[in-house]
Amino acid sequence: MKGKKVVSYFMAAVLMTGICGSVPAAEVHAEGDYEKVVYAFPSFNNIPTEESIASVEEAINEITREKINVEVDLMPLNIAEYTQQVTLALQGGEAVDCFMSLGDFNNCVSTGMAADITDLVDTYAPETRDLIGEEWMKTTTKEGAVYGFPTYKPVALTPMVVYKQKYVDELGIDMSKVNSIEDLTDVLRKVKEAYPDITPLVPVNSGETGIMQAAGDVDFLSDDYTSPKGVLMGESTEVVDFYSTDRFKELCSLTRTWYNEGLIMKDAATTTAAAAELMSADNSFCYVAAYSYPEADTAASLEAQCGNFELGAKIIGEAYLDTSSVNALTWMISSTSKVPEAALKFLNLTFTDKEVVNLIIYGIEGRDYVKDAEDFVSYPEGQDASTVPYTAQLSCGVLGNFFIMYPMAGTNKESLDWELEQNKAAKTSNAMGFSFNSSSVKTEYTAVANVVSQYLPGLQCGSVDPETELPKFIDALNSAGMGSIVSAKQEQLDTWMAENK
Amino acid sequence: MVKAAAKQKKQSFRKSVPLLVIALPAILYILVNNYLPMFGVFLAFKDYNFFKGIFGSDWCGLDNFKFLFATENAWIMTRNTILYNLAFIVIGTVFAIAVAILMNEVGKLFRAKFFQSALLLPNLLSWVVIAYIGYAFLNPETGFINNTVLSSLGKEGVAWYTESSKWPFILILVYLWKNMGYSSIIYMASIAGIDKGIFEAARLDGASKLRQIFSITVPLLKPTVIMLTLMSVGRIFFSDFGLFYQVPMNSGALYSTTQTIDTYVYRGLMELNDVGMSAAAALYQSVVGFIVVVAANAVVRKVDSENALF
Amino acid sequence: MIKKMTDEKRFRIIASIILAVLAFLVLMPIVLIVIASFTDEHTLIAEGYSYLPGKLSLDAYYYMLKQGAMIARAYGVSIFVTVGGTCISVLLTTMLAYPMSRKNFRYRNQLSFFVFFTMLFNGGVVSSYIMWSNIFHIKNTIWALMLPNYVVTAFNVFLVRNYFTNSVPDSLIESAKIDGASELTIFRKIMLPLAVPTVATISLFTALCYWNDWTNGLYYITDSKFYGIQNLLIKIMNNIQFLKSSSNAAMLGTNAVELPGTAVRMALAVIGILPILIIYPFVQKYFIKGVVVGAVKG
Repeated sequence: MKGKKVVSYFMAAVLMTGICGSVPAAEVHAEGDYEKVVYAFPSFNNIPTEESIASVEEAINEITREKINVEVDLMPLNIAEYTQQVTLALQGGEAVDCFMSLGDFNNCVSTGMAADITDLVDTYAPETRDLIGEEWMKTTTKEGAVYGFPTYKPVALTPMVVYKQKYVDELGIDMSKVNSIEDLTDVLRKVKEAYPDITPLVPVNSGETGIMQAAGDVDFLSDDYTSPKGVLMGESTEVVDFYSTDRFKELCSLTRTWYNEGLIMKDAATTTAAAAELMSADNSFCYVAAYSYPEADTAASLEAQCGNFELGAKIIGEAYLDTSSVNALTWMISSTSKVPEAALKFLNLTFTDKEVVNLIIYGIEGRDYVKDAEDFVSYPEGQDASTVPYTAQLSCGVLGNFFIMYPMAGTNKESLDWELEQNKAAKTSNAMGFSFNSSSVKTEYTAVANVVSQYLPGLQCGSVDPETELPKFIDALNSAGMGSIVSAKQEQLDTWMAENK
Repeated sequence: MVKAAAKQKKQSFRKSVPLLVIALPAILYILVNNYLPMFGVFLAFKDYNFFKGIFGSDWCGLDNFKFLFATENAWIMTRNTILYNLAFIVIGTVFAIAVAILMNEVGKLFRAKFFQSALLLPNLLSWVVIAYIGYAFLNPETGFINNTVLSSLGKEGVAWYTESSKWPFILILVYLWKNMGYSSIIYMASIAGIDKGIFEAARLDGASKLRQIFSITVPLLKPTVIMLTLMSVGRIFFSDFGLFYQVPMNSGALYSTTQTIDTYVYRGLMELNDVGMSAAAALYQSVVGFIVVVAANAVVRKVDSENALF
Repeated sequence: MIKKMTDEKRFRIIASIILAVLAFLVLMPIVLIVIASFTDEHTLIAEGYSYLPGKLSLDAYYYMLKQGAMIARAYGVSIFVTVGGTCISVLLTTMLAYPMSRKNFRYRNQLSFFVFFTMLFNGGVVSSYIMWSNIFHIKNTIWALMLPNYVVTAFNVFLVRNYFTNSVPDSLIESAKIDGASELTIFRKIMLPLAVPTVATISLFTALCYWNDWTNGLYYITDSKFYGIQNLLIKIMNNIQFLKSSSNAAMLGTNAVELPGTAVRMALAVIGILPILIIYPFVQKYFIKGVVVGAVKG
């Protein structure tokens, strides 16, 4: 008996200390006269050493001390670990003031990660608010409260087919006639006929053939496009189950035809390689994906990773903007931040101050990069991205304002205008600005997500027969609770529509 | 009487003090590392909110547990998890003991070193890499098995990643490949602990080698087998995520034989990223394991109290 | 007599043959990784993995060489953590297992339960993180790689306890007690030397565990100076994975520079196991010795 008591005493002690321990340690923010802001951003490059980061911070501080009375603490985190490390840091009560949603705006809001900054925006970041514009600010506003700024960059993703030029030339294929994913079939056939050993179409990723992005005007209503649930089709404002639509059925039979005729990679649903790797082999011809650059730029920029083949790109659909295309990358202030005003002031600079944003991206001029007369950036003689002390160059599409960053040498300044134009001209969903809060249907979401991952890759890659599998898929979805998700979405959408019309 | 008993108790406590002192550092560590964070279990019953923190978040009853049962596949994933674990316990133990006995026979020879390193190596590889190797073997078009083995036998290739009936064998094979060397080490150490005199006596009595193994070595390994089995039984609702997710390349057609509780939770929460629900899943798995292991331990204690875990 | 010798010899030969076959089967896939890491990337994609690849290439290792300084540093961190962590762990584990193995120890069962409970229940990552980083402030220190999770694991404790219970006769302890030895002396002078085989076993397990661990690094380390080798390898791997997936690249507006893919992943695996391949034969000498020595004494 006594033994049990010992154990329970231990447990009680444990719980007590547990409770005390979990109270977030109050971090001392103010150092000197300046408020300290921690800016956590994802980096695709090597994470620099503390010393190199400190030197960049010092250069930024020289600007920020004077302009906004703030000192910054840069926290570059590895992209693949970004979400987890930021989440843990916030749960642990550590000071992280500015962070990015990384595709998860709704989650950040519904779990209380992001602070409501409605009252602060007009005072501390009016320039950024104006830059983003009313239309886009709606995407980061939820139930009347503002939660952040979307990264300002080319967001209009246009579906394209990226192909190897030499086959097109040899076979005299006129790519300008290819204007939809359906038009692609004949091209694939021609290639297959002339070169039986070639796999004409390869997947973008394992189980992902790009058809979802080429599906046409679909608003995925806050879902990941790789696993959509309830969606809006075209002009309609009625939420529907994407997999029950005729469009999805057509796409499935299209890929099934490809599969049966050997036009698509046989193991597209399970391959370990992504498009870039597959394209760098000799036995592939094209893949379908969506990009935000003009055709020629896209092709040119992909050549290096695709085995240095000469590539071409052809747009096969129109860019379509929905809420997620804008707010996928939203900069937010953490709800636990002790200095939301200072954090917002700094965030404002990353959207408006050329020097600040370029320091974060490229580091210190001379040491980390060199710049020519026209502001084109390259690495110092004999150095590259992996050897300079500091660079976050690959994060250029993630931080603040893309359009005020120095371009890398070899890029094209005119493209920027095209991209800016696309942002404005792209077709926009009726529900632009609406975002879905899934917390009332979480249970159904998990079950449905499992069903989708079970059936979608096979259907999308044509490796299963839609005649028999699609009905099974739809049945499974319905018993997993797809209906509740659709009606929850519809309900929220109707409320939103009523408020915003 | 009472006084005497109290005195005895006191005495036995005093006797225990030195032993407790020796154990103290580790006890403290376990308290800090394992028991202090147990307050995280509350998360399973909370609608977690970052701003409010673990203790401030709203209670949500058993809502977080619902998703584990809200699917018609709940039965399949539970069945898979249990059956695979049972298979791993039985087959894994047999192989590990066999390897340990063989290893013990060649123990002092030079080649023993080589065998041992070889069998241990797979344990150093991550599941992602193992999945790649698996793919190299099983890929329907370029894979080693279809391309080299089956075609030289004149047989048709198999679409490995869509034939769910093949996967129980594949997964058990991969499991053995990765863990056999590692678990045999435990038995090697146990065999080393057996009094050599017993073998000597048996040999003088004219017992053959095989006889010695089955009459001496195997029975004497019983305590280790019981202990290891009890520990695995406690984790009967858990599965090695990498083995069931990475190795089958997340192929949907294989779910009927590869879906386990862990992979279901992972796939379901990938987008939602909900701490409360993942805490609920872990708690569910722990509680079931706990019940099973306490029951199993009670049985062992009855039959053979010496070898019970607690 | 002669017949028995041949029986033993025959058995030894059979055992060797079986083990040789097993070792061959186990090594086959690993050889494939090594070969794949030396295979030309394009060949790998077009022809798949092969024992006789069409074209060899050192590209993957050139890519690794560029990160050479970082890899060397990470090796250093990993070796330090593995050695340090294993020493602390073995000491604490045996010290806990010894009292648990004593049949007349009053809290034996309670302690066993206390340890076993941790094998089933845990508070999860979030609360562990809060505790280690807010109370002990180990974030971005070398301790972060050593202390959380692995120092005393239930599995190892039970292995040692079990060994003590079954291989050390009670009479040995009793007679030592009669000679007036304290518990600590008994532990140090009698139990530890007898436990060599099992100490060898748990040292090996713990060392492998520290060497293979990357989660502590993921949770508690953001300063690149404390990356261990597994963390570094996983980061490189994840980055390649992330950037190669065009959908991510498109969303983030980033175009990946030329990154080698599959071959590098295999090279990473080779780099991860290489030190063990080099060090293990040396450690193993002691390991086997430990097992054999224990056997003689027992």
